[in-house]
Amino acid sequence: MEDLIVRTISRTLVPFIQVYGLYIILHGHLTPGGSFSGGAVLGSSMILFALSFNLERGAKKLSHDASTVLECGGILIFAMLGFYGILAGTNFLTNLKAGFYPGVPGEFFSAGFIIFITVALAFKVASTVITLFYNLIETEGEAHD
Amino acid sequence: MIEVALRLFENKYFLVAMILFIIGFHTLLTHSNLIKKVIGMNIMDTAIFLFFVSIGYVDGAVAPIIEPGVEQAYINPLPTVLILTGIVVAVSVTAFALSLIVKLYESYGTLDAEEIMRIRSNEP
Amino acid sequence: MSHINQIIALLQDHSPVLVVIVLLVFAYMMPLFARWKKEWCAPLALTSIALSLGFTGLLTWEVFASGPIRYEMGSWAPPWGIEFLVDYIGLFMLITIGIISLLILTFGTEDLTHELKEKVQGWYYTLYLLLVGSMMGLAITNDLFNMFVFMEIAAISACAIISIKSDRECVEASLKYLILSAVGTGGVLLSIALLYMVTGHLNFDFIAAGLENVLYVYPNNILVALALFTLGFIVKAALFPLHVWLPDAHSSAPSPSSAMLSGLVIKIYAVVYLKLLMRVFPAELFTIIPIFDIILILASMSIIFGSIFAMVQKDIKRMLAYSSIAQIGYVFLGIGLLTPMGLSGGLLHIFNHAMMKSMLFLSAGAIIYCAGVRNISDLKGIGLKMPLVMAVFTIGALAMVGIPVTNGFISKLYLALGTLEAGKPFYLAVILASSLLNAVYYFPIIIGAFFGHHHHDEYGEEVEEGPKVKKLPMAMGVPLTILGLGCIFFGLFPGVIMIVVERAVGMFL
Repeated sequence: MEDLIVRTISRTLVPFIQVYGLYIILHGHLTPGGSFSGGAVLGSSMILFALSFNLERGAKKLSHDASTVLECGGILIFAMLGFYGILAGTNFLTNLKAGFYPGVPGEFFSAGFIIFITVALAFKVASTVITLFYNLIETEGEAHD
Repeated sequence: MIEVALRLFENKYFLVAMILFIIGFHTLLTHSNLIKKVIGMNIMDTAIFLFFVSIGYVDGAVAPIIEPGVEQAYINPLPTVLILTGIVVAVSVTAFALSLIVKLYESYGTLDAEEIMRIRSNEP
Repeated sequence: MSHINQIIALLQDHSPVLVVIVLLVFAYMMPLFARWKKEWCAPLALTSIALSLGFTGLLTWEVFASGPIRYEMGSWAPPWGIEFLVDYIGLFMLITIGIISLLILTFGTEDLTHELKEKVQGWYYTLYLLLVGSMMGLAITNDLFNMFVFMEIAAISACAIISIKSDRECVEASLKYLILSAVGTGGVLLSIALLYMVTGHLNFDFIAAGLENVLYVYPNNILVALALFTLGFIVKAALFPLHVWLPDAHSSAPSPSSAMLSGLVIKIYAVVYLKLLMRVFPAELFTIIPIFDIILILASMSIIFGSIFAMVQKDIKRMLAYSSIAQIGYVFLGIGLLTPMGLSGGLLHIFNHAMMKSMLFLSAGAIIYCAGVRNISDLKGIGLKMPLVMAVFTIGALAMVGIPVTNGFISKLYLALGTLEAGKPFYLAVILASSLLNAVYYFPIIIGAFFGHHHHDEYGEEVEEGPKVKKLPMAMGVPLTILGLGCIFFGLFPGVIMIVVERAVGMFL
């Protein structure tokens, strides 16, 4: 769309939406939210940008290669954190008994590895939302995974 | 009669969930437009999520976030957590179904399921 | 040397979760390789399934030495945590899935370059590994919601490996499968909700203990939960009334996908259903509702109608798909009979049919790859041009009918003895009739392939003798040979696999 009002407003709003999304992600272990909802908000901000400007500028902001790396990287970080539990002697995906930092419940630095998993999964969800959008909009593309 | 109505009102969440399930299933079965079938599938899944989440509700309790020092009753957090996964799964299935419908529209030129069956039965 | 022993002990302790996780991790590394180093995709995929099969071997050694293994994820004891339970039936399914999927993928590395477009070939391996990983997870999980998550992963991957070949029949078949599968999964989720309402647990053992107490306090909840579970699993395992998605889906998919879907995916749901019926629901419930009789009736209708519909098909893959409906009926017949011999026959048929049907679908795929024909009437005379493929097809067809020396005979023998043991000789007649019907539609293909020849067409010109054939690549020939020899080997020495099956049945009955 080529509307001047839409472009100006979205150019102003997109940073605020992204900050809100990052807030939901980073406080996943303290308040409601976490990786899925925060990742969806972050992905929607990129979709808003691609819808109000044209698709090529949106694709330049987050290219296909970058979103592929983010998608796969999220799951691989999750698997690595799980394997750390195996190397530490306990079972797969162990949190406090494997030696992650427990902290005081209610503080920001607490609850072991929940914050790392939340951030990894949130970037994965955001890049999945963006990939689905690009594949549905482009005329020749497969929309799998 | 009054007793039946009162018992139904006590379990109002389950009643609404079942009505939504029937509406969604009916839409999935009877409408011939493919997008309406996907919407019906979504309504059906939403009804099941409502049913599951309302199991964990406790009257007069608050959201399960612990404030240190305050003694409160919390709702059961387990159904909510399970349904979070369920919602993501439903979104993935919807996204996949919609992309398949886009491909079908490109091949057949119509979104009507009966029209597609007619085209398929006419070709050799 | 002690380091190696330590590492093997570590791997053996954590094998239950490593069997599934190594496949999921490799599945998510595939897109990176597909984008930057395409030629590494196929060897990596084969390595990952081989690794998973290696962990299954370690598990077999340990389970046979010291009994079923329980593994707690995240070091949380059940009921707070998710638990994996590797017992004999889970082990049986892990072995079956591992071996058959490795052979199918070896075939697929060569076939996919011919059937799929260039840019999606890397993604096929991701979907395939996700499907195999989720099926292995379904075999060993002991938690209801974990089962639901693995069912959803399997459903989406199974639909995606059909529609990845973007012909319009594939897309339509995949959409039908997806919507029906979503209805089934909705039913399963609703019944999980109903069971959670009355017991408050999600672990199989804890629910079983809870249900024994509350069976007469909340009978309606439990009955509706049983009904919805049955509905969900009948849709996914393609038993008689709700089998309508199967012919389109299995016949239009690429050949490795058809082999995987017909051979393994519909069976794992039968095994999960058996585990639910025997372990979760209390035995008194089956005196109120005769669910096993209902399963017997649906299974026999599935057997008869599957065979009858298969007789009138003209396309070879569609005929094989209808034949799959009949064969899953045999597995449910074994479950419904509920005697040691009947259940052993049903479970053994899972392994045998996985080998036979994959072999048949892969040889049909080889014929389509080399000669480009799909209709049965065009297959005349092809036996002389492609002797290996038609020999393997012949062994598969003989095994499906149940000729002695092949492994199909052993499982049908066990099923027949099971019907006599249960005192229901009507189902013996069903088994014999369906074997006869199987012969009616398989033997004309074999006879026509080896002894038939084309006639002159209607203009009086001489049609050339059969279609031109390409040479069969070795990556396609080796799995076919291994499967063919395996069918005969397990027909002569069934004891190798019957050890696991007998112990599995012993734990249920």
